Amino acid sequence: MSLQRVWSLFRKDFALGPRKPFFLFAVVMPVALTLIFQVAFGSLFEPKPRLGIVDEGGSEITAAVRRMEGVTLALLDDTGELKRRVQNNDLDAGLVLPPGFDAAVRAGQRPKLEFYIGGESLASNRIILSVTAIDLIRGVAGLEAPVTVETVRFGEAGLPVAIRLVPLIVFYALVLAGVWITGSSLVEEKEKSTLAALLVTPARLNEVYASKWLLGFVFASFMAAATLFLNRAFGPRPLDVLAVILVAAALNAMLGLLVGVLSKSSTTLFTLIKGAGIFLFAPVIFYLFPDWPQWIARIFPLYWIIEPIWQVSVMGEPLARVWFELAVAVAITAALVPAIMLVERRMKA
Amino acid sequence: MTEPAIKVKGLSYWYGNLQAVKNIDFEVFPGEILGFLGPNGAGKSTTIKVLTGQLRPMGGAAQILGFKIGAEDPELQAQIGVCFEEKNLYLEMSALENLDFFASLFGIKNANSLEALRRVGLADRAKDRVSSFSKGMRQRLMISRAFINKPKVLFLDEPTDGLDPVTAKEIRKTIKEEAARGAAILLTTHNMFEADELSDRVAFINEGEIVALNTAENLKLKYGKRSVRVRLRDGDDVREEHIPLDGGGSSARLAALAASPDLLTIHTEEATLESIFIRLTGRGLAG
Repeated sequence: MSLQRVWSLFRKDFALGPRKPFFLFAVVMPVALTLIFQVAFGSLFEPKPRLGIVDEGGSEITAAVRRMEGVTLALLDDTGELKRRVQNNDLDAGLVLPPGFDAAVRAGQRPKLEFYIGGESLASNRIILSVTAIDLIRGVAGLEAPVTVETVRFGEAGLPVAIRLVPLIVFYALVLAGVWITGSSLVEEKEKSTLAALLVTPARLNEVYASKWLLGFVFASFMAAATLFLNRAFGPRPLDVLAVILVAAALNAMLGLLVGVLSKSSTTLFTLIKGAGIFLFAPVIFYLFPDWPQWIARIFPLYWIIEPIWQVSVMGEPLARVWFELAVAVAITAALVPAIMLVERRMKA
Repeated sequence: MTEPAIKVKGLSYWYGNLQAVKNIDFEVFPGEILGFLGPNGAGKSTTIKVLTGQLRPMGGAAQILGFKIGAEDPELQAQIGVCFEEKNLYLEMSALENLDFFASLFGIKNANSLEALRRVGLADRAKDRVSSFSKGMRQRLMISRAFINKPKVLFLDEPTDGLDPVTAKEIRKTIKEEAARGAAILLTTHNMFEADELSDRVAFINEGEIVALNTAENLKLKYGKRSVRVRLRDGDDVREEHIPLDGGGSSARLAALAASPDLLTIHTEEATLESIFIRLTGRGLAG
């Protein structure tokens, strides 16, 4: 095998990429999915109500808000800045606590309180912040709440849907870039007979395969990293995440090569990927539905890459936590090499 | 004596139960153009595919430049050039990018791709995408690609098929230049004029078999019939008479007609490769 020829073939495919619609599709779709999911679920489930306070007198209210996990607090020095940020929807609401506010409340003087609400803020956030402010003022005044609220939680405490969707989007990016790009690039060479043109030069079939795998590997690595970045899911250990992504991309590109070798036409490739879709995507479903028996996910080969991505990028676990899963993924990747050679031999025969 | 660049002995190939190439033998020497003349489906392209490593030989043996075929040897592939019947170029790339890329596969560092394009009249379109090229331009690029590594052996599969006469003439000129350089050329065609004009020798291939192999001249002498066509005035009409040049009284008849006051024209008639092909195989080249 000549590395120089593999490099020439790879460079050709890489340069051709942006000129092909399916390449652009593989770039655009994960980004579009990220945006759609963030709009649909991110703003509904993830962000906490954002309250800005200009505290001119060291109020107890500020300290109480700071202790609350459910509210994001921004302390500001100037009312003008507060109004600007509320207006720009950087904050859902703003509160100006004048000097001696707590003392005036305790003295029953009913002091004037400036409370600004952002026009673009979610109604739910406005209600939460309004009720919270009134409740805190009542606390400063030393008044008891008129009712006792007892909170009862149904179901297990879990991660927000927006977080649970991260594996799906990353997986989608990996499959599109790793499986689809690798497979379709090879099938296109067959369909347009450019593969025949390559093989009457010194380039050998294994060099063409190596270049296609490299294309899928590089592209899948980039798209998985970009998708994690867009979803702010790179976690506290970016190098560990990168290592996991590289293993995942290698496996996906190898699967892409396998379907590419198996397919003589785009129709066959479509059918194969569509048919294998449930098999490929099945492990992701278990992250969306944590109540399902999780051991079932291990049956599917791509579980062994999605679990490390989940643990390292989303849960912030170290690489050592997922060494076994990564080893299985590497073993599957290695096992696919002779499988591809066997399929190639059968296809030729 | 010069060694043949292509040496084929008993080569056979089957598609399932159908034997596409039947035990054929031939040789092509450096600087020679061997025309493979036969109708569609005769086995011409299959022979090229087997010789260029696209198909594995199923019977017999062949050597190119002393290398046994079927071994997938990059050293051999580096010395051959192939022009496919199908225009298998990278349409999204420019003409220059296509040539530079293929040159890189041959390990050619500073390929003068622009000069190669100039040779086939495409220099002014070098940076245009091939998808915008006409059929003739694509074919010229195919030829240019086949020549990029200055091959010692060239396989040209229907290189002028479907081209306008001007482009076809230009391509034929380039092919002759390659032969003059010393390349051994195996050219398949079902165009008898092309085979006659380009080939040093012609092989008639029909249903996978070589039915005749010789120079066009010798084939015509061996299988063709020479005759003279005489046109004479016949009242208000014109009549024609064909006199075979085979002795047996034909000279006397010709002399008599030549002396006739009704004589209009006399033309010698030479057998065409197509007529010889039909005579040998019972079918035309178009089929």
